[in-house]
This record gives sequence, structure tokens and C-alpha cells, in this order.
Amino acid sequence: MKLIVEVSPHKKADYDICWLMKQVLIGLTPVVLASIIFFRMRAVLLIISCLLGAVISEEVWMRLRKKPSSLRDYSAVITGILLALVLPPKLPLWVGFLGGVVSIILGKQVFGGLGQNIFNPALVGRAFLMAAFPVMLTSWVEPFSLDAVTKATPLALWKFSKEFTPLKDLFLGNVAGSLGETSSLAIILGGGYLIIRKIADWRAPLGMFLGMSILSGIFYLVNPLQGSILFHLFSGGALLGMFFMVTDPVTTPSSKLGRFLFGLFCGFLVIILRKFSGLPEGVMYSILIMNGFTPLINRLTKPKPLGR
Amino acid sequence: MLRIEEEKGPQKNFYTQKVLPQKVVIPLSQHTGSLPNLLVKVKDKVKLGEILAEPSSLISSAIHASASGEVKDIRIYNHPTLKKAKALVISAEKNSSEKFEPPYIREESQVKNMESFELISLIKASGVVGLGGAGFPTQVKLSPPKKVDTLIVNGCECEPYLTCDYRLMIEHTESILKGIEIIAKILEVNKVYIAIEDNKLEAVKRFNSKLHTKKYALPSAEVVVLKSFYPQGAEKQLIYRLTQRKVPAGGLPFDVGCVVQNVATCFSVYEAVYFNKPLIERVVTFAGSALEEPKNLLIRIGTVLEELLEREILKFKKEPKKVIFGGPMMGVALDSLDYPIIKTTCGVLFLTEEDLDLREESNCIKCGRCVDVCPMNLLPLEFVRLVKKGFWSELKEFYISDCIECGSCGFSCPAKIPLVNYIKAGKEKLKSLNKT
Repeated sequence: MKLIVEVSPHKKADYDICWLMKQVLIGLTPVVLASIIFFRMRAVLLIISCLLGAVISEEVWMRLRKKPSSLRDYSAVITGILLALVLPPKLPLWVGFLGGVVSIILGKQVFGGLGQNIFNPALVGRAFLMAAFPVMLTSWVEPFSLDAVTKATPLALWKFSKEFTPLKDLFLGNVAGSLGETSSLAIILGGGYLIIRKIADWRAPLGMFLGMSILSGIFYLVNPLQGSILFHLFSGGALLGMFFMVTDPVTTPSSKLGRFLFGLFCGFLVIILRKFSGLPEGVMYSILIMNGFTPLINRLTKPKPLGR
Repeated sequence: MLRIEEEKGPQKNFYTQKVLPQKVVIPLSQHTGSLPNLLVKVKDKVKLGEILAEPSSLISSAIHASASGEVKDIRIYNHPTLKKAKALVISAEKNSSEKFEPPYIREESQVKNMESFELISLIKASGVVGLGGAGFPTQVKLSPPKKVDTLIVNGCECEPYLTCDYRLMIEHTESILKGIEIIAKILEVNKVYIAIEDNKLEAVKRFNSKLHTKKYALPSAEVVVLKSFYPQGAEKQLIYRLTQRKVPAGGLPFDVGCVVQNVATCFSVYEAVYFNKPLIERVVTFAGSALEEPKNLLIRIGTVLEELLEREILKFKKEPKKVIFGGPMMGVALDSLDYPIIKTTCGVLFLTEEDLDLREESNCIKCGRCVDVCPMNLLPLEFVRLVKKGFWSELKEFYISDCIECGSCGFSCPAKIPLVNYIKAGKEKLKSLNKT
């Protein structure tokens, strides 16, 4: 009889990384569907381009480094889809593909692969495209418009012409914007699933919600033209960031308090950038900036062990 | 804190069976503390219950013959927690009297009139140690250097599969209460908690109905039903749950006025005081899907696993791939069946390939599940990172020594990282660095 000898515990939870990532894909489904409803073939093709960019570069990288394929952990798939969801629908497909490559290589692999990266890979990809192709990254189209009627996003309308989009349109998604950012409803459905199933921790989203609400609430009380709390929550990439970016385990703090604070400061930063920066939107930069602070937050929020 | 499938299975409802061995292997070390002094030599005839080794220091424990027969050998033998250790091998006489005949039988009134020191010396003479796992000599725990006010009787049995404490609570409720009575008297506590998880409500019922008779000198005793989760039964966690007192790091329960005793220990205290019966047997759960029938056995200390299988007291229906002494969360996996049951063995599990999770370790994704479940409020993922990098001194800053190795982190890790393995390696490295 040959017996296996290893250190306890001898029982382990059923789930693994692959399963968790698949759950995230399930959470992304409503958002992907909404993007296809609003932007039709453009959405489908852009998602495929980003996906291909991410998956191919991941596989090529692993082969070049003579390491086993890591496609099975689905993390490249998620990065590809998330990237597509934060890009404008009119974007040329090759730019999407390039973004996928940059996300994986510069966002993840140069740091040492899954679990080692400091910044959210999809946002690294978007930041790169934003720097390289600023005009393409800020041209938006109206949803349902097959001939691609140019239209500004609700945040741009607010910032540059003090024009408010009705909350109902913001909630359902009938507005201009990135593929997956328009429909608050779809994001809440998918993100809610992740939180209820405990795939994503609730602390960072709660922190971001509170951070945005507090700051935008104060500004709104001073001057209602600054936009209401709900306007800020439902417009731009706030909700997508809240449910799918600040919940990324790798690039956010690991202590409970740290996760909350990470979200809270992201929330503050979003409102500050929206109000004071030259750009109408600030979710991407807020999260990337806070990603950089993750090690510091981890150090400052080290939990106190029982009995110390 | 974790919720784990309990797998307490059918053995929960089976009566404990008694088993008498043909050979016993009795390691000298079955407790925390120094080795006892050997009193017998090879070829000596020993009688059931006879003392074989006496405590050598303040923190040490006696051991006794768990079978009548001849001392065949005193040698290094397999040991479930120490790997190899000195042990006495005794072959039982064919027609040795099966039952332990108590040299004394004390009446309740006699026991009530005994002084604390007399009670403690009986407990010491019987070699009673904590039967929950650590095996701390009970007489030491009952003579705390500080006054304690709370006794916690641990009937949580939070490890999956194990049901030995549960069966004892069902079958020997009164005896356990008498043992608690003795301990409460020695410690002069003014509060007694009997902590039981809500998956053992039958035990709760029995304790409550016995306590209602007011027969026991336990006016302050209270059965506390706790929602079951792992590791509820860990000492520091249990004290915190019941009293909101935090045992300081590196400290012991008496530092916060508490003593925790396992229900099985209370039962052994009862036997020691009422019958002068040494700790020569205990209830052990045998379970796992490789077994045809899971069982709780009242088994003599020193019984070797192999014998139970040879005599078909236990039968395999599938080939076991892992044999574990203890529970699945903290138990030790062994390399053969040639290991003796010792005083601290709560259970032996025989797991088949299907029970095992052999998925390979992958990169940490820093999801923090280990942090969320750590009952000591530590950052287990940091231990892995630091051990991998060899940053030994930093391990101290993350309080690696506070880790109780409960295995909650390893259980919940989606990357299947053997966290306890890394933590043990880190602790060992630190220990060897401190020495040099």
C-alpha cells in the first residue's frame, strides 16, 4: 500500500482559480450582452479583437519562456474582455488587438505573470491606447446607430456643456460611452452576482461607493450643477470599476480594512479627477493610481493578531 | 472562520465498541513536556494499569500498561506526531483479564470530601493529559500559577469526521459532569461553560437535562450552543467567543483567568478520581471513505493500526491513499499502518483517492481568502511570499509564531498553495536561526 504523506490540511475547498475566473466570466455576461445590444456588431468584433490580442500574446509569451500554457486559468480571457468593455465602440479593431497585447505583456507578464502584476492589466492596456491614440479613445457614438452618429458621453456633456443626461438612460445604458460602461443595470446584475457568490469581496466596492457618494454629495450640496450622487455613480466607468476593477484580487490590498480603504480612496479620486482634471472621466486613472498604493495600504492596514 | 462539510457520517449514531489488543506499543512521549522516567525493563511482566514510567519533572506525565503481559522490547518505534520515538512493546497474555479492575471505588461522598491536592495527585498518578490534541499534562493545567475564574469544557469537536467526543458526551454524560465537578472544585472557578456546537444538539440536550437535576455541585455551569464552524474548538478562539477575553500572544489561558478542558479529559479525570483508573484507553473515531464501516472504538493506548485491520475490526472497501492521525484539518498523514494509537489520538482517517485534492499549486492571486478565514487575524499569504524569498526576519514582523496551524488558509486557497507547509518551514527556519 502506497500512502501519500503531505502536510495538513487534508481537505480543501472545491473551487480553484480556474473556477473563480469562470465565475467572473459569468458576472461579465450581462455587461457583454448589454454592449452587444447597444452597439451590435461593433461590440462583438471589438471584444473578439481584444480577446485575440490578449490570448495570443499570453500563449506566445509562455511558449517563448518555455513555460506551460496558462490559458486554462482564464485570466487572459478576462483581461481581454474587460479591456474591450472600457474601449469606445468605434475603435478600429487593430487598435483593440494591440490593446490586448499591451495589457497582457506590459500589464501582466513583465511583472512575472498572474498574481505578480501591480497594475490592473486591462487598465494598463487602456492607458497605453489613451496615450497613443487620444483621439480614437475619445470619439464616441450613439447606441443603436448603425451609421455611427458621433455623440459625447454623459460626463463630457456635463463637464463641457453643463447638460445632464436623464438618469433613466444612464441606468439602462441608452447613452454614448465605452462598450461595457453604459448600462448600470447590466453591471449591477453581473457585479451583484459576483458579490453574492462571494467571488468578489464587498469591501472595496462599498468603499468606492461611499467615497464617490460622500464627495459628490458634498459638491452637489454646494452647487447642484456639479451633478448628483446618482449621476456620478451611473455615468462613465464608475460602476464597472466598482464591481470589476477594484475587486481584482491581484492589484488591490489583501487585508479587509485595506480593501475598503482602497475602494474609498478610488471613490474620492474619481470625483476629484472628474471635477478638477481636464478630462471628464477619472475612473481609470483613479484605480491605476491606487494600484500603486496597494503595497503601502497593505503595510499600514496589517491586521492586529488575536491577543496582541 | 470556516464552514466545512462535517462528514460526521453514520459513526455519529453508532455505539462505541470496545477493542482489546494482542500487542501494544506505548511511546514514552504522549504528552507535551519532558519524557517520563522508565520504571520497567525488557522481559518484565506488567499488569494492566501498572505504571511503566513516572513523571520526571513538573511538566511530564506518567504512562501505564494498557495490557497485561511481557515487555518484549524497548526501542525506537514509529510515532504518529514525532515520526520516531522510544516506545515499550508489550505482548498481551492470551487470557489476560479483559476488564480493568479498579483498585478502589470511591463513593461520591468520599470524593466530595477530598482536598484539591489529593484530587490532583490522583489525576497525576493516572497520567491524564489533555485529550483534545496537545496532550498537556492535566495536573499542570489544574495548578495554574494564577487564580482562574472560568472553566471552559470543550465539546466543540470542530474537525470534520471526528465524533469520538460526541459519542462520549452521549454515552457518559454523567461521568463527564462528575469529572467537571472535580475540575471546578480544584480550580475554585465561579463560572463553568460547556461549549458544544449546534451539530451536536443531542449532547446539548443530555447535558442540560442532567444539569437540571441539580445533583451536581455546578451551580454556575451553563451549556453554550455555538454555531458550528472551524476552528471553533481552538483554545484561544473558544475563550474569546465565550468570554471576549484575548489570550496574549505567547500566553496561556490562565493569563486571562481561564482553563479549557476537553470533554474526554474530563471523563478521564472522573475515572482517575473515582476508580484510580489510569489513562489506558480512549475513544477514537475511525472513518473515511476507504473503510467499509466507520466506527468509534474504545481502544487501548498503544494499539497498532495494523492489528485492527488484520483482525478485521476495521475493513477496507477501497484502497486508502492517505492515512491520517487526527482530523482532516490538522491531522498528520502517515506512511504506513504500523503506528500506535496514543493518548492524543482523536481519530484515524482512511481517505481514498477521490477524497484527496491533488491539484497542483499555482501562483498566489492575493485574493485574501486566507486572510478572511484566519482565526488569529494573520496574513497567511505574506508568510508564503516571505518564505519563498527567504526573508526570515520579516516573518517575525508578521507574527508567524502566533499561527496555530489550523489549516483554514490552506483549505480556502484557490491556488491550492500548501500554506501550512510554508508556515511550518518558516517557523522551523526561525527556530534554527535563533539557536545559532
